[in-house]
Formats: sequence, C-alpha cells, structure tokens
Amino acid sequence: MKRIFNIVVGIVTLTFLAACNSSTGLGLNEQASVKTNDKLPENPLLLHIITSSICPKDSTMASLYGNDTAFIYATHHKGREYPAGSILYEVTWRQQADEQWVGANIPKEIFSIERLEYTATGRAIYTIYKGSPLKKVMAKNTLKRVAAISKQRMAVSP
Amino acid sequence: MKKKVSIFLILLGIVISMQFVHPEKLSDTPTEDLAGVPAEVNNILRKSCFDCHSSQSDLHWYDRLTPANFFVYRHIREGRKVLDFSKWDSVATPAQNNILYYSLNKILEEEMPLPSYTMVHKNAKLSPTDIEILKKYTLSRTPRKTTDASVINTADKEYTRFIQGEITAGNVKPTPNGIAYIPDYRSWKVISTSDRFDNGTMRIIFANDVAVKAIQNHQTQNWPDGTIIAKAAWKAQVKADGQISIGQFFQVEFMIKDVKKYAKTAGWGWARWRGSDLKPYGANSMFTTECTSCHKPMKDNDYVFTKPLDLFTQFKKRN
Repeated sequence: MKRIFNIVVGIVTLTFLAACNSSTGLGLNEQASVKTNDKLPENPLLLHIITSSICPKDSTMASLYGNDTAFIYATHHKGREYPAGSILYEVTWRQQADEQWVGANIPKEIFSIERLEYTATGRAIYTIYKGSPLKKVMAKNTLKRVAAISKQRMAVSP
Repeated sequence: MKKKVSIFLILLGIVISMQFVHPEKLSDTPTEDLAGVPAEVNNILRKSCFDCHSSQSDLHWYDRLTPANFFVYRHIREGRKVLDFSKWDSVATPAQNNILYYSLNKILEEEMPLPSYTMVHKNAKLSPTDIEILKKYTLSRTPRKTTDASVINTADKEYTRFIQGEITAGNVKPTPNGIAYIPDYRSWKVISTSDRFDNGTMRIIFANDVAVKAIQNHQTQNWPDGTIIAKAAWKAQVKADGQISIGQFFQVEFMIKDVKKYAKTAGWGWARWRGSDLKPYGANSMFTTECTSCHKPMKDNDYVFTKPLDLFTQFKKRN
C-alpha cells in the first residue's frame, strides 16, 4: 500500500515539476485582436495591408487595410478616387511597449475601426466602430476622416 | 600528514609548471570614456562591459593563471570582435544607438554580462539602478525628429517609381546562405506591426499560409516546417505635427522554418535584402550568426520576437 502511495506521489511531483519547467512561449496578442462579441461586418485583419501610421501624441498606431479592389487600386494609383466596390478599414490600436525589445511599441487593444465603402457613384460611405465590444457609433468629421484615410499611400515594397 | 603535504607539493608543482604555457598575450591599451556619454553611464559600462568589450581589460591575477587564461583570453577576443567600445568615436550616431539598444536588451534578457563572468567578477554585476540609468539614457538618445525635406523628397520619388511599376523584384540575388528572394510576401496575412523608435523604422510582419494555419492552431511556440515569416521595414516619416507615416523602403527579412535543412541555424533559414534594389545582406554565410545571436533570447518562443494577432476570431453576431 505504502509503495503504491509513493509511486502516486512520485508521478504527481514529476508532473508538477514538468509543468513548472515547460515554457508557454509568447502566445498570441489576443488583446490587440478583434473579439468574438465585436459587432463588425467582417474581420478587417484578414484583408490586405496598404500602409501603417503612428500618432505618438495619442500613443496610437494604425494600419490601413483594403479588399482586393482597393489593394490593387492603391498599388497602381496615386489618387484617392477608389473604384466602386473598394472597402478600406483604418484599424487604430493603443500602443504598448514591446516587452521583448526595449525600443519598440506594438499594438495593444483596438481603439477604433473606421470603414469606407465606395459606391458606384464614387461616394465613400463612412462608418466608425468603437468601444468594447466594438460597435457602430455616431460618425463625426466624416469628410475630414474620409480624406485623411483615403489619401494615405501604399507602402512601397519591391 | 606527510602524505597530504606530498600531494599538495605535487599539485603546486604541476600548477607552477603549467604557468610556462600560456596563450598569446592580449593587447591591452587604455580605452577613453565614451565621448558625449554621461559619466554615470560611462562608469557602468567600464565596470560591467569594458573588460570584454574594449581594448582595456582590467584582469585579476587569477584570470592570468593557466589554464584559466586560455578561457578568459579567448572569451575577451570573441567579445571584442562582436563589440568594441574603444571604436566608439569612429561609429556613426545611428550605429551607436543600435549598439546601446542591443546591449540594453541583452542585459534585460540577463544574457549580459555573462553569468559565468559575474559569478567570478561580482563587481561587474549590474544593479537594478544601473540598468535603469542605462535604459533612461538609451531612450533619451532617440527622440522622434521631424524628417528632413530631402529625405521626404527621396521617398516621394521612390513611391512614384513604384506606382509606375518601375520598382519590382527583378533579378534579385540570393543571400550568401543560398536563400532565394520571396517576392509575394505582400499578399500574405499581416500578423503584427512594430514601431521601432530605437532606429526610426516602422515594420509590418507577414506570415505565409503555413504560418497562418499555425496561428489558427495556436502552434506558435513551435512553428511547423514550411512556416515563413517576413518582416518588412520602412523609414518612419515624421511630420511637423508629430504624425508618422511610412517612408522609404528599408529592408525585408525572412525566417524560413525547416528543422533539418537549417539545423545549424536554430532550425530557421535567415535572409535579409536591403534597399529598393534588394541587395542581399551579409558578406558571407556567417552573417546568420548575427541573426541567431539577436534572436537567442527568444529561444523559448522558437526564436520569434513577434506575438501574432489572433486572426481567426469568429463573430457571435454580425452587424
């Protein structure tokens, strides 16, 4: 009986030690990802990235994503007259210091997602999602935001 | 008793005779304090780094005894090769900043000063206050500065050429370790971005399909063979109002996972191309030492610095 008890104690101890020694790695940056209860029409993080920007004053960083139509247009055109069917998403994150490298910042939680959808008439429909969970909120400065988002140019990559 | 004395004398004789054999003498010339660096920072560097990373090695008597001196001298020679603070003045400011950030990150990862060194040389150990002083000073060296008009002009020209289809990956040469350029990374999924204010660049990290599947399966602690991670970097363009956008293309780096093929370089193939003409990085295949050494602190994360976004959130309710 005592022998069995010792074996069980031994197995439990070894399992515990193995668990303590095993490293879990960094895992995923869940905090900066879209969440299951966010009320978005699609996951913009799965689209093509056009460019990226930083606003140190607000400690935020943003990436401009686009669907195929928008991405192809931005690759070959300087203008901001995106064709019908183009969809752009400006995803803005709060920044956090990169724990793995002093001298870098990486995305923290999403601050806002702005969506532009270009209609057949060339008009851009602007929507903004904010909060936790992300949901549609009243748009402000629409024209200014449409101009600021659409004027960003494609990051050059040979 | 007599036996013990005899053994001691024999050992002493061996140690003394060993002293007639010694490694090639180390060059030892005084290293000045680093120009433009505060005294308190210089004192810390001198105390904890200079012995192995400058031309002035203040060795103890026991460091000079054979056989310890073989180990110590070799270690110092290797240390000087990697980083020599005696050459500080001949290094341009951006490169000096790179040295300080790299050193600081190695210190924070507790890789430096080497634990084997501080075990014997207690004085070289860095205190939390020392580390804080180094961190504060290093961060103070890289404030965001408005980008010069000439630099913006160069980036504008590069963008125009790109839009016109004049910048393409044509005949790009492979890296010295034999890796061919991978031109389609821009169509891959983005797994993170990074604001590298330490060197004034902005980075976008892309992952190929195999890597994306690994993210979906939460296998990022041990990426599967076939994984490719691309990190593209651009110069950060700072406007007068402080807003920062992506400027000139700087480089693209790849990590290609193949445990067997790249067994000698931590299971990854390392590659980097610089500039819009995509010049392969590295004078020879040994450039990968630089890569593995920098990524070594991330060993428990399969040598990857990036913490990827979770791309596969399923919404409960669509709006």
